[in-house]
Amino acid sequence: MSLTLRILLALASIITVVWILRKIRKFKVKMEDAIFWTFFAIVLLLMAIFPEISFSLSSVLGFISPSNLVFLVIIFLLLEKIFTISIIVSQLEDKVSVLSAELALRSHSANKQIKEKAADEK
Amino acid sequence: MKLLILIPAYNEAENIERVVNNLINNYPQYDYVIINDGSTDATRKICARNNYNLLDLPVNVGLSGAIKSGMRYANFYGYDYVLQLDGDGQHDPYFIQSMMNKMKQTNCDIVIGSRFKTVKKPFTSRMIGSQILTAAIWLTTGGKYIGDVTSGMRLFNKKMIKRFGYDMHYSPEPDTLAYLLNCGVRIEEVQVEMRDRIAGISYLNFKNSIWYMLKMLFSIFIFQWVRIRIKEEK
Repeated sequence: MSLTLRILLALASIITVVWILRKIRKFKVKMEDAIFWTFFAIVLLLMAIFPEISFSLSSVLGFISPSNLVFLVIIFLLLEKIFTISIIVSQLEDKVSVLSAELALRSHSANKQIKEKAADEK
Repeated sequence: MKLLILIPAYNEAENIERVVNNLINNYPQYDYVIINDGSTDATRKICARNNYNLLDLPVNVGLSGAIKSGMRYANFYGYDYVLQLDGDGQHDPYFIQSMMNKMKQTNCDIVIGSRFKTVKKPFTSRMIGSQILTAAIWLTTGGKYIGDVTSGMRLFNKKMIKRFGYDMHYSPEPDTLAYLLNCGVRIEEVQVEMRDRIAGISYLNFKNSIWYMLKMLFSIFIFQWVRIRIKEEK
């Protein structure tokens, strides 16, 4: 694992932490997401500071180069995130359609009541 | 001075009638509103049939979203105090009077109906979790003690109605209590008794509890220090 990769990892980790802390400061992110990104940053930082971890792990698992393992770990973490995000988006889409249906339904029923009242008064 | 009882209800078809009828028959001096948080069972039907005062959310938004709607309702109709009462019948409206008295005596912002103000906490796994959160709040707020951090029976004043109704990320959870204490909000506790759930199941299983504790501890020990503190003037 080259020094450049280690420096890049450390930089990415620091930027992630600073970015997520700024978002928390302004109440712009949910606690669950903040925990994920903090965890992500910790993993990056560990791999940057202790290259021995990826060296020994990659020899155990039979990878050609430790940097491949680093990439794989990052890809897995991001995949997990994409997976959960895609589920959340599906649920949100469903909620929006239910919301608009209910809104239309309820304003329709309110209109109907008003019309019936007006007809009764005549 | 107007008090609103806020009853968040998610799939409480088995309990809601008993809870609300008890309120209507025995405590007619209080106004109430049920927030139906997109229940998938007959909760809405039961409320409509009985002509209860109901705020019917079309989709499920979770407890903090339901509380937010209720707080906005309270602000819209000009209530001065909001009491949160769970829809599952755990809380007894009998204790509302003593909570109101406490709020007036001490001029505080939130009164928590606590199971452990004068009674010692039992030694169960859930109560160990509760005690850890109590200790976390005590450590991070400079020695402020809240015995029953997860109690859902709470009384809020006008300032808190505005905060919970209109600011983002005010979930009704222990980490918000810690944050609010550090903002200079005053929180008091009053001893109440709670019944066990009569029907239905609790949301907290083992996996959820671990995730919940992790979230709360992260929030109290780390994220709390980063958030902007909107101070309450003394």
